[in-house]
Amino acid sequence: MVLLDSESVVILRLRGPLELKCHADSTDVVLMQKAISRSFEDLRLQVKSESCVLAVCDSPVLIWPNKCVFEEITPDTPCEDVFQLIQTADQDPGGKRSTKKKNRKGLSASVINLSLMMEATKPGPLSAPVLARTIQTSHFLRATLPVDCAVRSGCSDTIKDGCGRLLEALTRQLFDMEKATLRHMRGATLLVPEPLHFLLPEPNGLVTVVFPRGVPDNELEAQRRELHGKFELPDDRPYFRRANAYHFPNEPYKDGYLRNPHVVLTHPALDNGKVFLVQGFYSYHHYMQDRVDDNGWGCAYRSLQTICSWFQQQGYVERCVPSHKEIQQALVDVGDKQTSFVGSRQWIGSIEVQAVLDHLLGVTSKILFVSQGSELASKGRELANHFLSEGTPIMIGGGVLAHTILGVAWSETTGEIRYLILDPHYTGAEDLQVITEKGWCGWKGPDFWDQTAYYNLCLPQRPRAI
Amino acid sequence: MGRSYIVEDDVEEYLSKLCSQPAGPVTGLLIGQSSVQRDFVVMATRTPQNDESAAAGTSEYKEWVSEHARQVSRMLPGGLSVLGVFIVSESDAKDTLTTLRQLVFSVENLISSEQLWTPAEDDVTDCVTLHINPKTRKTVCRTFDVKDPKSVAKPADWKYQSGVCSSWATVSCWLSIDLLVPLPDTSCLFQEELKVWAQQIERGVCVIDGKKLPEDSEIKTGQVKKNVRQTYTAQLLIAPEVQTVTDVVQRCGGCVSVRGAIHSRAFLHSNKPKAKLAEKRDIISTVATRVHMLLEEPSTQNEQNKGRKQTEQFCLPRRVFCPVKGSGSLSVCDYQFSDEGLSEMTDRFKEMLDMEAAEDDLDATQEMVAEVIESETTAVGLGPSMRPKTALRCPTHSWSPHCFTLEQTSPIISSCRERR
Repeated sequence: MVLLDSESVVILRLRGPLELKCHADSTDVVLMQKAISRSFEDLRLQVKSESCVLAVCDSPVLIWPNKCVFEEITPDTPCEDVFQLIQTADQDPGGKRSTKKKNRKGLSASVINLSLMMEATKPGPLSAPVLARTIQTSHFLRATLPVDCAVRSGCSDTIKDGCGRLLEALTRQLFDMEKATLRHMRGATLLVPEPLHFLLPEPNGLVTVVFPRGVPDNELEAQRRELHGKFELPDDRPYFRRANAYHFPNEPYKDGYLRNPHVVLTHPALDNGKVFLVQGFYSYHHYMQDRVDDNGWGCAYRSLQTICSWFQQQGYVERCVPSHKEIQQALVDVGDKQTSFVGSRQWIGSIEVQAVLDHLLGVTSKILFVSQGSELASKGRELANHFLSEGTPIMIGGGVLAHTILGVAWSETTGEIRYLILDPHYTGAEDLQVITEKGWCGWKGPDFWDQTAYYNLCLPQRPRAI
Repeated sequence: MGRSYIVEDDVEEYLSKLCSQPAGPVTGLLIGQSSVQRDFVVMATRTPQNDESAAAGTSEYKEWVSEHARQVSRMLPGGLSVLGVFIVSESDAKDTLTTLRQLVFSVENLISSEQLWTPAEDDVTDCVTLHINPKTRKTVCRTFDVKDPKSVAKPADWKYQSGVCSSWATVSCWLSIDLLVPLPDTSCLFQEELKVWAQQIERGVCVIDGKKLPEDSEIKTGQVKKNVRQTYTAQLLIAPEVQTVTDVVQRCGGCVSVRGAIHSRAFLHSNKPKAKLAEKRDIISTVATRVHMLLEEPSTQNEQNKGRKQTEQFCLPRRVFCPVKGSGSLSVCDYQFSDEGLSEMTDRFKEMLDMEAAEDDLDATQEMVAEVIESETTAVGLGPSMRPKTALRCPTHSWSPHCFTLEQTSPIISSCRERR
């Protein structure tokens, strides 16, 4: 997974509804398609016209890209400098207007949001309006197109260049929307085309794809297959399910869970060592979340939740992360536990995690058994291979404590190994700094394990699907 | 402490002229701009005489005054509004208070029923009433909060001043309109569609002389010089509302479009901020007024030709401005249908606003008469016979915006069918 380098890249993101309205004179489908195409062509002309305005959100900056009019900035302003004109949300409203200092490290600073507007005013004098009334049984089509374009730009690129590329992307998106609209037209029913961004491995980077709103992922496999071909992506993992959509760094996650806390950590330096990590995104589940007091008994549940979040966020399953109760019920349903287990505070282990993953997500897992913690030091190759081929978080339990393994740093020559551990026993708030500085998410040596206790590792296998 | 009204000297002159006339009680409207601190009164106009109507105080008379106010308020560009009512009467000020109270409430109700814009939190809701005794020339000024049905009269300060009209700024723009509305088989309120459009205008970003200022900021910096004409150009940036409509195709019986441009103008006293608000409200009003005017044209024919495609086009009346004498930049406006001459405009300015205007005074250059493409359709001017000779119609025929559907308008519009 290639992450955006916030040091050198600014994302310009243009959003704004565009209204598609057309009156199809005929009820004939072909003629209606023609009318729709004409309306899209009108919209494309509109965004190329002098009326088109890009407004930088939370700032006084207005840009008429087709007239080359830039208010509050010059066309040659580097994209990076635009941040100085953007007001941040945490300023007290009505208070003094201070501007945000450029924050190169902060991820939130790397996206410039713009909204698409149309200037309704024109130089006059002009002709007074005409009201026209047509009476004919026909179809009226009205849709609000959720235009959403994103382009990556170097910090030192000028805003003029950036806006030029945004407009190109916008025109392209309108073509894509037209195609999607016509493709998914069923009789006289239309589906609103919805653009989604996906961050693909280089050299593709950030791409935008238009899907029909409301059509579930499982009905769009043919379209995804085309996309995999177009971008030369492997056919064994999803890249274009909705859950794979790129999450912009300045947008908070609505569920409140931290994503991938490990990315801020520095990798351990081992002689000839390589780092093998979980692929994609997961959320950090730990004690005391969701108003559940599971301190002292819920660690394996939380580790399982983290694994489930991975499968959901990679798009393999649509099922949301199961609660403790749902996990317990699943174990009752598969015949592993008595009914009284539901609502109890009993621990579960790796075998139960395997059973629940199978029952609730349809995911199979391999179990790796070590009779003594000290043996884990020699499991470098197995673990490295797991992260290479599966890339899923591993749940490890056994003797006493359950943990999640997110990766290993392993030297093939010396056999030296470090484990990237996500600890579900954390009871505090979602504070990335505390979590990474106090080692709740951190690299551990082989001595981290109880050298004499036995361990079971649950290695979830990702399905081969797109 | 009551409100204070700063009144243009010309208004005093106008009112004294009414006082010196031998006629009985005379009512009329007070026109100007209100602001949080104080109001500025720039014009007064008497209620046109009505042969049939009864004396002041009757409900017919109240309706007559309100109808006058409704039509006058259509003739006021942004920033100007009907502020209240005056009465010149020999009766005691105390005795006329009930009449005046009823009049301002009735006037305000009718005017606000036509407004498509959303009132702001800090909009002034006090309306002024003025009683003048023609003998003693004693003037009593009271205000009523028209949004409070139980409100009682509050004393207010009425002060004449010269040059009240002279230091106003003008904000103007031309705005293009492109509305397309389906004509449903059953019922859909064109009014609702206009409201959606109005909300889009209200949400729009207003740029004054190229600057995107905060919504409540004043347009001027530094001291305003008197008698220097100040004009600003507004630009309005709009975006549709984000909706999530799943059913995007609907069957319809046709469609109505309104396309073209309007000229909008708002006047702002030097102490008056909210240029953007005034301009946006004028944009909304001038469009709504014209659509209403077109749709409320009376018609005698009521034919429907079902089954065949029909398209008719109607030119919306164009906006014509008339300067207010001796007032610097201030002007009022009226709407000219394609079959009307400028003399009909001057007649209406006389009747509605008691203004003596020559045809040369009128500014009809801001909007051009639309050219209608003849190939597909036939443009229809409304014949002179269909327009009443006097602009002020009997209030009982007045149109209520709330019960109006396009279906109901069909008698009007289909009176002029496509000739093919």
